[in-house]
Amino acid sequence: MTSTRTVFVRGAAVAALGAVFALTACAPGGSGPATSASLGPVSKDVAAAGDVTLTVWDQNTDGGIADAQTQLNEAFMKQYPNVKIERTAQSFADLKTTLKLALSSNTPPDVVQANQGYPDMGAFVEAGMLRPMGDYADLYDWNSYYPEGLLKQNSFSSDGKQWQGDTLYGVSQTGELVGVYYSKKLLAQLGLAVPATLADLESDMEKAKAAGILPLAFGNLEKSPGIHLFGVTQAAAAGSTAVNDLVAGTSGAWTDAPTVEAAQDVADWASKGYLTAGANGISRDDALTSFSSGGALFDINGTWQQQTLATAMGDDVGFVALDSTEGTPATTGGQGLAWAITSKSAHPDVAAAYIDFITNAKAAQVLLDTGNLPTVLPADYAPKDGTLAADIATQYRAVQGANGLVPYLDYSTPTFYDTLTAAVQDLVAGKATPEQFTETLQADYSTFQSSK
Amino acid sequence: MKLSLREKIVNQVILAMFAVFAIVPLLGVLLSSVTPSDENTGGFAIPSRIALENYGEAWTRGNFGVYVVSSLIVTVSVVILTVVLSVFAGFAFARMNFIGSSVLFYVLLLGLTLPAEAFIIPLYFNMRSTGLTDSYWALILPQTAQSLAFATFWMRNQFRSFPGDILEAARLDGARDIRVLWQIVVPPTIAPIMTMAVLITMWTWNEFLIPLVMIVSNNLRTAPLGLAFFQGQHVTDYSLLAAAGVMVALPIAVLYFALQKRFISGMVGGISQR
Amino acid sequence: MTTLLSVAPREETATATLTRGDDHAQTARARRASGHRRARRSRVAYLYVAPAFLVFAIFLGVPIAQTVQYSFYDWNGLGAATWAGIDNYLRVFQDPQLRDSFGHAVVLMFFYAALPVAIGLFLTALISRSHQMRSMSFYRTVLFLPQVIASVVVATIWVAIYSQNGLVNEVLRAVGLADLARVWLGDYDTALFAIGLVGTWLNIGLCLVLFLSGVGNIPPELFEAVRLDGAGRVREFTAITLPALRGQIAVALTLTVVSALKTFDLVYITTRGGPGNSTTVPAFEAYNRAFNTGQVGLASAVAVVLTIVIVLLTIAISRIEPKDVE
Repeated sequence: MTSTRTVFVRGAAVAALGAVFALTACAPGGSGPATSASLGPVSKDVAAAGDVTLTVWDQNTDGGIADAQTQLNEAFMKQYPNVKIERTAQSFADLKTTLKLALSSNTPPDVVQANQGYPDMGAFVEAGMLRPMGDYADLYDWNSYYPEGLLKQNSFSSDGKQWQGDTLYGVSQTGELVGVYYSKKLLAQLGLAVPATLADLESDMEKAKAAGILPLAFGNLEKSPGIHLFGVTQAAAAGSTAVNDLVAGTSGAWTDAPTVEAAQDVADWASKGYLTAGANGISRDDALTSFSSGGALFDINGTWQQQTLATAMGDDVGFVALDSTEGTPATTGGQGLAWAITSKSAHPDVAAAYIDFITNAKAAQVLLDTGNLPTVLPADYAPKDGTLAADIATQYRAVQGANGLVPYLDYSTPTFYDTLTAAVQDLVAGKATPEQFTETLQADYSTFQSSK
Repeated sequence: MKLSLREKIVNQVILAMFAVFAIVPLLGVLLSSVTPSDENTGGFAIPSRIALENYGEAWTRGNFGVYVVSSLIVTVSVVILTVVLSVFAGFAFARMNFIGSSVLFYVLLLGLTLPAEAFIIPLYFNMRSTGLTDSYWALILPQTAQSLAFATFWMRNQFRSFPGDILEAARLDGARDIRVLWQIVVPPTIAPIMTMAVLITMWTWNEFLIPLVMIVSNNLRTAPLGLAFFQGQHVTDYSLLAAAGVMVALPIAVLYFALQKRFISGMVGGISQR
Repeated sequence: MTTLLSVAPREETATATLTRGDDHAQTARARRASGHRRARRSRVAYLYVAPAFLVFAIFLGVPIAQTVQYSFYDWNGLGAATWAGIDNYLRVFQDPQLRDSFGHAVVLMFFYAALPVAIGLFLTALISRSHQMRSMSFYRTVLFLPQVIASVVVATIWVAIYSQNGLVNEVLRAVGLADLARVWLGDYDTALFAIGLVGTWLNIGLCLVLFLSGVGNIPPELFEAVRLDGAGRVREFTAITLPALRGQIAVALTLTVVSALKTFDLVYITTRGGPGNSTTVPAFEAYNRAFNTGQVGLASAVAVVLTIVIVLLTIAISRIEPKDVE
């Protein structure tokens, strides 16, 4: 009689045998990064390419940029009727999880928005999935249009091991800044001035709390807002140079005093009730709505929310980037995801033309008209005083001028996005002390640094 | 002996309680799907009016027309392929004697309790290197493999209990095995085959992980996968999400109501028939 | 719902056990009857089995062996792989996040398996001779319904139920327990249990249907005899019903325990393992590390350990099954 047990034991034995055979076979995986084929001559001539379908993957789903993207796509197809754009738009989180699989498939998209830093762009470059864009940069004169710092953020060494290396892999459409949105009405109601430093912010929040107003709307369900909250705090506490070096891997540690201090601040805010209760369960859209409907004094968010907030709050909303301990504004930001061409694309010329079309000065105007912040602000751009657009433009120029842009913290290591977002959730929920928090970050960081 | 009134009431109360427990969430999503978007806060509430336009919006905004077609193609293919292959294999295991039959059978059995994670990682990379990812084959073939473990087992059992004398008679008449199989054995066994087909339809339609990993192009996504991404973009738009959810679950639910006995008896197995 | 794959086979094995004896006798007879015909049949059999087996081997069998192979390497899925020996396995046991994921799976097993089976048995004890009720088929249909709904839809439904203004909080506020209201899936203390409860919802109907149908097979004379002896409901249950249901309990346990361990869809849609890492489970870790963070070797090791746990548990549960079948 064969009992179930025997069945499984026998089956397992067969499987084990198979496993032994498999083990003796060769190792999984390819033989290293694909040797880049020599890039041919480049051309601006889109019409000559004949009928082309360009597959584009992006995450421009938020209010203003979604409008801009649709408009730009239509304009491009009108100008070049031989090109059809097949667009797949997803949320940032979804794009993050699906892009890797998409790029490594045998029919990857032509144009993608790739997040800068080691987790995404670095991995893609290391595997040879992105096409170096140096030749197109020359062709379209991107080197003189974009500030060098921003181009550097979109560059890697050609083996993908060093961020901000010497090969350009993409250009960004939007400039980004993460800062403090504030309700002018509530500020006036509390008799407070616009906060300029971290200390100001804290004392403002204290007064708001005492008056029964939610100081800071914060929804961390999607996990990514945690990066912004902590990033802004850390930039203000440690200064832009220190954080820049830390993320780039040149010097510093996450356990340094200013960073621990920033973590302590965030933990204190959570425990004092300055943040939305149960933040880890509130979606970022819900938190934003609670702010825009007058339910909170502040919301730490990015300039991609400009259109949404301007529509909801009109001139009642303002935006400020805090000054660091060095006295100049320092905050998380830089640019939006980079538009890149995949190395397997059959139409790099058309792809490059498309990328240039949606990022150049003309596109910048479309972006401004739909309530977005383009990477490069036209010098004569001067929106009406007192509007949100004016605040954002002023702060953006100020931060850029003071070299106060700090990269998004998740760029630091391939696993940092997961590590940091989970850790901030722990910190905000009181499950980790600031010391434990920074130690978790440092552990991931040093593992990566030593493996480089 | 008939049940006393007291027994009947106790039974009804208990069963009703749990029936309610089972059905309230499902009722909730139905109600939610016809609640106007701006009214919907995610709770269980009777809407002020029946907003059927939510379905239209979810269908167009969420691109579900494409996803449902994808799911249909994959599901039908898997069912047909599995039925054909398992009828052949099940018959061989049940009625033919050959060396290695037990070993092969045990190996097949192994596929029953294994989690998809046990094979999907290398499967993805294998398919990638043969260029099959992001195609219907990447969904059809692995899911057929998954279903075959159960299907072959099921068919073997059905064919085992098939009266042997009819088989012998047919063979003595000179009929070749393949004729015996498809013209004599299968027709009376159509009912259990249907049961199996219905179960495989459900499992294939509801599958999420394999499409998540294998499919990249938007227009090849299956319905559950489409719903997952739709949810990522409309986290708090409960009306739209509910409408989309109903659309994804409806085909199987309809099939279930039409063929309840098959579903339940199939899943509960031949236990009651013992 | 590939969890249900095991239903039929679990007990089919038992029936198979029975019929194997028959088979041997049959084939022995046939062997004597038609000598050379046997040889012809056996060759064709391979043709019959080959297609199914080929599909199975290529798309399931070989990859399983490869998963074991991958687990001994360090690979990011893109470039070349480096030998890692048993490092990945060590990491599965040492990394707190991975250890926790298995711990969470155990918690889920309680909600997915222990609870529904216990409740199912308890209710079975209370319900008398349900198979004689005419409305039983209606109840069966309704109770079973959760099992056929796609897991992604189930997850979407329960995200709404657990949300700030969802059904759970609505009820709490209605009964005056508004302080307890929270976003259940976003709270460290409750997220895992919230997910577990979804499993209970999914599986209670299944267990109840299974057990009630099993009770229907118990000859009523047994009950009569025990009652004549003066036994109360409790003894009736423990002496007659429980032992008779051993087969069904084994099936129910197998199905539900395996479904708890296999949980992926629900976690992916509701929490992605969060908040923090409080709801991560082995299946999710395997997926995330293989396809997102580029730790294919480690992911494979997790998958292997998970599979071994499932196999061991299945074997352990099968010992409840009655060895002799009527």
